[in-house]
Amino acid sequence: MLSWSSTQAGDEVDLTGVADGTGGFDIDHGDELLRFATQCAERDDTALASARDELTSATDEAFMVDAAAVAANFEMMTRLADSTGARMPSDVLEARAGQIGAMGVAELTSRR
Amino acid sequence: MTVVDIRSDLAEVHELAWEHVARPGSWWTAAQRVDIAQTVLLAIADDDPLPPWVGVSASDRLPEQRVAPDPAHDAAYRIARHAGTMTADVFRRFADDLGELPYVELCAIVSSVAAVAHFRRNVGLDVPPFPEPVDGEPTGERPADLADPEFNWVPVVAPADQTAAVVQAYSAVPGEMTNTWRMATAQYIPNEEMIHPDWSRRPGGLTRPQTELVAARVAQLRECFY
Repeated sequence: MLSWSSTQAGDEVDLTGVADGTGGFDIDHGDELLRFATQCAERDDTALASARDELTSATDEAFMVDAAAVAANFEMMTRLADSTGARMPSDVLEARAGQIGAMGVAELTSRR
Repeated sequence: MTVVDIRSDLAEVHELAWEHVARPGSWWTAAQRVDIAQTVLLAIADDDPLPPWVGVSASDRLPEQRVAPDPAHDAAYRIARHAGTMTADVFRRFADDLGELPYVELCAIVSSVAAVAHFRRNVGLDVPPFPEPVDGEPTGERPADLADPEFNWVPVVAPADQTAAVVQAYSAVPGEMTNTWRMATAQYIPNEEMIHPDWSRRPGGLTRPQTELVAARVAQLRECFY
């Protein structure tokens, strides 16, 4: 969805910058969002607070809350997908081979 | 004390999610649901997590008095903390112990509680306590037409595989389906807006690429292929 939406917006994102956490893509506040999303999924409360403050300073509190909600949604959806064995049809997988490779997820246990 | 202004639609669905946990479901009593939800919170906050193959019920981390059966706690802990390690064999073992539809309901409790708990941490707020469990028996609601899909392990409402696997996953337990997609609408994107690459919740809010950047990073760190 990131690849699709960014292409539609006229700025194709290099997914390796997401996968390795280095960022550097042409999305407004992309690096702040990437650091915040990373810390939302990690376990260091101090680093999370710093990333939250950085994002809020660069945008505003409502923007940070919206980003926090998106991160929370994917805490929900990843557990939904992985607990119910959700998988994609083969033609979808073939169409997304490039994104799968760029994100480095081809060998995950959760690939079914 | 931290004060964060949470938009009202999001605050409301999270309050409803907590109330939903504490009401009888289709297959679990309210007390069992809250018991399972407490194990979800334990798993998420566990600073020294058990490895995926160790059942939490065999540890000393749960209270002695439990109202949900041990396999329910084991499944809840595993999915809450190690969802990316789930396999068809592990699913089958839990489903054989619990029943397929109770397993689906449990998955929904885990995923919805994880969302609220993580959101509160993400914005720097404590996780609120669950309401007192509401008395009453599970409804035993079982949709008339269930099917075994090609793209999920769990049964779904027929016809199967007409929508994405994540969309149909909880359809066999309608109350959980409603709660989950109500949450997704407030947390992410309303379903009817999914095809619009320029959708934003409000002027100055997250653009679609910004939204998908956060989504992709969290899903990748949770090792979720889907």
